[in-house]
Amino acid sequence: MTKKKNLVMAQANSYIAKIEGHGSLKVDFKKKKVKLIVHEGERLFEGILCGRTLEEMQWITPRICGVCPIAHNLASLAAAEAALGITVTRTTGLLRRLMQIGQNTQSHVLHAVFLALPDYIGIDNITELHKADPKKFALALSLKETGDEIAMVVAGRNVHPTRSTVGGFHKVPTRGELLTLRDMIERAVPDARALAEFFAGLDYPKLDLDLEFLLQDGMRVKSSHGEDFALADYKEYIAEEVRGESTAKFGSLKGRPIMVGSLARLFFVADAANGKTDKEGSADVAALIGKINFKNPFHNNLAQAVEMFMELKDGVEVIDELLKEGVDDKLIKADKDAPLKGIGAIEAPRGGLYNEVHIRKDGTIKYANIITPTVQNLTSIEYTATALLKEHHGKSEEELSHLLEMLVRAYDPCITCSTH
Amino acid sequence: MKKLKIAIYDFTDCEGCEVKLCSIKEKLVDLVESFDIVNWRLAQDACLDGPYDAAIIEGTPVTEHEVALLKELREKSALIIALGACASIAGIPGIMNRSERKKWYDKIYGKGYKPAGIDALPLSAYIKVDHMIHGCPIDEDELVRTLEELRAGKTPCYRGYSVCFECKQAGNPCRLLNKEICFGPITQGGCKAVCVSAGSPCYGCFGYREEGNIEGLVRILRGFATPAEIRAHLTMFFNQIPEYKAAFDNALKKKVVRKVKP
Repeated sequence: MTKKKNLVMAQANSYIAKIEGHGSLKVDFKKKKVKLIVHEGERLFEGILCGRTLEEMQWITPRICGVCPIAHNLASLAAAEAALGITVTRTTGLLRRLMQIGQNTQSHVLHAVFLALPDYIGIDNITELHKADPKKFALALSLKETGDEIAMVVAGRNVHPTRSTVGGFHKVPTRGELLTLRDMIERAVPDARALAEFFAGLDYPKLDLDLEFLLQDGMRVKSSHGEDFALADYKEYIAEEVRGESTAKFGSLKGRPIMVGSLARLFFVADAANGKTDKEGSADVAALIGKINFKNPFHNNLAQAVEMFMELKDGVEVIDELLKEGVDDKLIKADKDAPLKGIGAIEAPRGGLYNEVHIRKDGTIKYANIITPTVQNLTSIEYTATALLKEHHGKSEEELSHLLEMLVRAYDPCITCSTH
Repeated sequence: MKKLKIAIYDFTDCEGCEVKLCSIKEKLVDLVESFDIVNWRLAQDACLDGPYDAAIIEGTPVTEHEVALLKELREKSALIIALGACASIAGIPGIMNRSERKKWYDKIYGKGYKPAGIDALPLSAYIKVDHMIHGCPIDEDELVRTLEELRAGKTPCYRGYSVCFECKQAGNPCRLLNKEICFGPITQGGCKAVCVSAGSPCYGCFGYREEGNIEGLVRILRGFATPAEIRAHLTMFFNQIPEYKAAFDNALKKKVVRKVKP
């Protein structure tokens, strides 16, 4: 085999390691331009869904991404229920919030610790942390286990939910299971705090630029730069550009690069608190958020660690509410005058996820549209990568290449999600 | 004993089976230490060229580049192990038929888009596969079992029972008796009946049992489901397994003799 044909090595030299999916960077160091190219094969999920039943949608879309399957499941359930005119019970809503907490924990540990942290502490992969810092390694594994356990108890499995269904749940956790889970989460809260403090102490590469953040807020979507629109208008505002060399579309807010995900969400938390402590007066959260630089995309990793701490704290409260109320496991059936069209949206670990579905009278899907968080971040990655080349000029191409890969990883891109 | 040189690859897919691999926790350290993982893009920068003792491949080869890489990996690896349903049976990506792809490229990407993908087929459509770790996603214990057999120099083997065996152990009411479509009887065990235990259907993602009685199952299913419903259930994971589809077609052609009373 000639060297030129060696695909194993060619791929190793061009594809970015330690990210979810297959992407590469094309860098013009002289012109200081960076292009991100997505190589993932197209699976055409919107096409896969057409002709299948609405109940199958929430089964199929988690397979878009094994790192955030619960988020896809929840967005599809919300879209399906909107199409069927279903309002689920209050405790179904609480259980789904718990699924989201489990999802964020799983995804953030996997990304921030397993994939991104090696960059900051100078190791190649996470298993080396086992030798370099066994305590931190055990901490990460135990947080991962907590996220997995929440998913297992509520969603039925750590990857790809089995218990959720349109209208509610096939099966709900018992009181005993919730009590055990509550103990586990409560024990994990100090661990998550320790991890967030550790991330706050890491040395992040310098980058200082204006970032526009986007956040779902109930039935509205708002940006840090004053844009505010109804969820139903998501397609008008979130533009998707098809580029020849990439299999993923590049999203933007009407052409402007936007950042979604942990850093964006915490920006709005910080903005609302305006320097004050949060509602329970927890100064620890406020202090951690205070350490985040919202002009530096690398701080997304810190934001993920802080958010995990906040999510787990919330988890205890959600379970307390469920225990107080008792789980209402009623499955809600379709409304007779269902609109047959629905939009479902959720803040997934990596940012706002949008599902839209239209169905025929027989319940089969005739139209589906999915916009994933990473699609929205792709344009921002290129924008900040170009800024990085300018801010770090004078460094060698090798150093810059490494910094660029770190930057891509800091965004926690889910290339698989972006090419769905 | 010399450590086996392992390469871990992912083609187009959700990477959920690799997430499962990361969920084996402390065992992940044992795994990394007991094998020589020389190539794993998702988890490490380090990458060595073959030959490999085994390549563990997740995902469906969808692009031409992936098909070429798959063939190269076959040449460079003593063993090829398919990880998860996308690799073993094409799974969810396989729902999309090749003949339909053009239409959907036009709709999703717009006319004039030059696709990277050609088709969504299992690894075995292109190369010889030595062993399949089934599931969408895989089960952690099955993964560890297979890797331990590999480490011991054994040829990994499949479970000698169907999902029904584990489903009964879990104490679940039988879906077939409740007139719900279920592929448990003809599907390999090892998943612990995780879907049925949670109230979801079994679509057979753990792969078909060699001696599964498709004809018998179809006879029961026909007692309460239409051929179209049975075919739709089948295409969730097996749309790209022609032999399996043919076996169902043959069984569906047989006349329904009687309605099965539950």
